[in-house]
Amino acid sequence: MASSTVLAVANPRRTFLDSVRNTGWQTWVAIGVLAIIVIVSVAAPILAPFDPTLQSKDRFATPSLVHLFGTDELGRDLFSRVLFGGQLTMFITAGATAVAMFIGVIWGMIAAFARGLADEVLMRLADTVMAIPQMLFALVFISAFGATPERLALIIGVLLTPTTARLIRSTVLAEIQEDYYTAAVAYGASPRRLLLTEILPNVRVPILVQTAINAANVLLLEASMSFVGLGIQPPDATWGTLVQQGYQKMYQSFSYLLFPALLIFITIWMLNLLADQLGDSSSSKGRS
Amino acid sequence: MAISIVMLIATSLLVFIVLRLLPGDPIITRLGSTPGVDAETIARLRQEAGLDAPIWEQYLNWFGGLLRGDFGQSFFNQFSVNELIVMRLPATLEVTVVSIIVAILIAIPAAVLSALKPLGRVDRVVTAISTAGMAFPQFLIGIMLIIVFAVNLEWLPARGYIPFEQDPVGNLIRMILPALTLALASAPLFIRFLRASMIEVLSSSFIRTATGKGLSRWAVVVGHGLRNALIPSLTMLGLVVGYTLGGVVIIEYVFGIPGLGSLAIDAVFKRDYAVLQSVVLLISAMFILTTLVVDLLYGVLDPRLRIGARRG
Repeated sequence: MASSTVLAVANPRRTFLDSVRNTGWQTWVAIGVLAIIVIVSVAAPILAPFDPTLQSKDRFATPSLVHLFGTDELGRDLFSRVLFGGQLTMFITAGATAVAMFIGVIWGMIAAFARGLADEVLMRLADTVMAIPQMLFALVFISAFGATPERLALIIGVLLTPTTARLIRSTVLAEIQEDYYTAAVAYGASPRRLLLTEILPNVRVPILVQTAINAANVLLLEASMSFVGLGIQPPDATWGTLVQQGYQKMYQSFSYLLFPALLIFITIWMLNLLADQLGDSSSSKGRS
Repeated sequence: MAISIVMLIATSLLVFIVLRLLPGDPIITRLGSTPGVDAETIARLRQEAGLDAPIWEQYLNWFGGLLRGDFGQSFFNQFSVNELIVMRLPATLEVTVVSIIVAILIAIPAAVLSALKPLGRVDRVVTAISTAGMAFPQFLIGIMLIIVFAVNLEWLPARGYIPFEQDPVGNLIRMILPALTLALASAPLFIRFLRASMIEVLSSSFIRTATGKGLSRWAVVVGHGLRNALIPSLTMLGLVVGYTLGGVVIIEYVFGIPGLGSLAIDAVFKRDYAVLQSVVLLISAMFILTTLVVDLLYGVLDPRLRIGARRG
């Protein structure tokens, strides 16, 4: 009898693979497309047929077998530029998302556990940061610190922290209501064990969903910043920078604008799709 | 109400502090290209701009000015920040308000038609389009509209702005693309939310009662369903205003509209904090104010919440 009581309140440990299995083919499409984009971007130095800074006389070439995406105003191979641009975009996206998730998860967990005054202060702070439209806040930070890739990742990451903290707080508060948590408290688990062994594995899916949403937001913000000329400065380029340059040369070459814009769109789309699918699976699954 | 004021003060502090953390000096930036400036001139200019005072005194000066409705003086030109804001505000307000109205006009029919038959053909199309729409950064939507309507079809001008009082028709024609851009970017948020709330309302028992007593389909769906589904969607309005106010910065740049957003971007390039901090605070205040109004309105429209709204 004792053992059945324990079983009834056992930590359910919902894992990532469980939640992926619960979703349809769309999740796999999203994961597949994102994996290809990430791998190709990271492998840019190996895959790029040309040096992205190599200039030639062949300006504004239309896409061909030699230049898959055509060439730009200095005759640089656009396919190679997009690959290397992807590498930098991935670096910023990964960095900013990591910053947002790391600070946000700690912030939200502390708020949920501490309750009382600490919770109040932490959440009011989040509200205040969220009262300033992200785009404007990004402008303030960039004018203060400048926009190297590292700083841009840090700035955008910090901007996405409060929304992350809010979500993690409410998720953790819901977990605290669950029987397995009460049981763990009852047998005297340490706060460290409660947080890391009991709660954390069960909020893995919401954390993953938020990671995908954050990554999509990073891409949006970074591309917008670079587009108005406040993000990554040439000769370095992200997809956002390439879109800006392509937009200025729109009448000479359409592929210049098209391909980086398309990649931004597809990547964000797939991240949103992944977040939707995983979010649905965890909410419709029911709690054991 | 009190919370909104505290948030405004906190916002002003936050923006001010972040802008003073930086290593650069706006006076030196301003003089960057002028050769042979001595230390004395720099010191005098710093004093004129009030930059030699301790940081808390600078903040109190700025904040005291705000209370009197005085945003201070631009570091870079002879205009006061007030004059700059008065010049730039109308364009921003117009784009924002028009785009939100257009977004609502797009979202309501789309969401209602979707909710009538969840997972039906219309619903699938609407959901697919709005999911894709959410994946487009606002500036990309703007570029696509420019390519289609300005470059290819040549129906509308690609860029520019004419004040309404100068040429009402010209003003409105130039408003179409930017407002549509922002509306297309924010409509998906509305649609998703309103669709869910509409589906929920339509499955409740009072809808069955209304249908049962022989009301027309229109009266049931719009009079009973939509009316009740719109109330929770009000909270969405606050979010959408925030999203639009952020997006307006970028969209003004894309369409060459001389509004607060382009003023802010300009101020970043020039490191004109006096202008930047005031514009950011003003836009945040607009956002906080909308949230407050939405909360109050929510209470008025939903009697159950009236007491709660007053307390907040």
